[in-house]
Amino acid sequence: MDALSWDGTLTSRDFLVSARAFAEKWKEFNSAFPPWTWVPCPPKQPPCHLPQLLQQGYLSLEKICLPGSSKKGHVTSQEDVDEISLTEGEEEFEPVDNATLVETNNSLQVCYYDFHIVYSDSYRVPVLYFRGYYIDGQPLALDEIEKDLPACSAKVLLESKWTFITQEEHPYLNRPWYKLHPCGTSEWMKLLFLSDDSRAKIGVAVEQYLVSWLSVVGQVVGIRIPFEMLNNPKSCN
Amino acid sequence: MSTVESPSAVRKVVVHLRATGDAPILKQAKFKILGTDKFAKVIEFLRRQLHRDTLFVYVNSAFSPNPDELVIDLYNNFGFDGKLVVNYACSMAWG
Repeated sequence: MDALSWDGTLTSRDFLVSARAFAEKWKEFNSAFPPWTWVPCPPKQPPCHLPQLLQQGYLSLEKICLPGSSKKGHVTSQEDVDEISLTEGEEEFEPVDNATLVETNNSLQVCYYDFHIVYSDSYRVPVLYFRGYYIDGQPLALDEIEKDLPACSAKVLLESKWTFITQEEHPYLNRPWYKLHPCGTSEWMKLLFLSDDSRAKIGVAVEQYLVSWLSVVGQVVGIRIPFEMLNNPKSCN
Repeated sequence: MSTVESPSAVRKVVVHLRATGDAPILKQAKFKILGTDKFAKVIEFLRRQLHRDTLFVYVNSAFSPNPDELVIDLYNNFGFDGKLVVNYACSMAWG
């Protein structure tokens, strides 16, 4: 692909190629982190006239603890619980009424996040879908997720409420997930691959697409990419 | 490597700020910055210079560094000719 005439989008075939390359690279250079896995999905309507339709699916990284993602007990709506001072051993006291039991020990509550990278047929770019939940499976609302996001994301969230993160149906799972809006993606992807004149002649490396993409998208949710993955051997000379 | 040779703690890195797209070009494009500074400082500097809240800042024509990365780490991995080239554009990633 020639970077000068490239519009920043991918075909679904390129997405597949890029997804595989990305998952491999991640495994190689980020082995301390759980791997991204490819989840194949059968097409909703089996093709009758096409002999072999391209494999559909998405990349998945699940049960991740974000750096800032541990919440204090549910104290947000219970401001008075802060005043209760617990001394050691007191946690074992018997609650008088189970119905009013609230977590007052301020213990850190673990939250998990699932991330899926799904190809969008309409925008022709990868889209990040994610959800957060407590250890017991209870989903996190957006305002709770916000607290786990890096500070810069919280700011954007405030400024562009409906064009940044919204809740939508997951294209394959048909459940509500949060989604990062893809409308600007092709524009900044084009920028990423275009700016250097010498690079333009080299062309767009499809294999590198998702790595570059996640360098931007990952900042929103706090996923970091090791430098080794970003060192594109094709641009080193 | 032609950067100032001094203990790494006080080492300075030359950052070359390069406009892309319709972003305004800075009168002075090359700056020295402490290697121990975070990349966020470069972004903040650009925002102030260009009076823009939203900027798309990237390195090596391939990725957008996390604001928490140290400038020296970026230089060591992606710098060449004694400087770190940082591209910027006035487009918004979101919204």
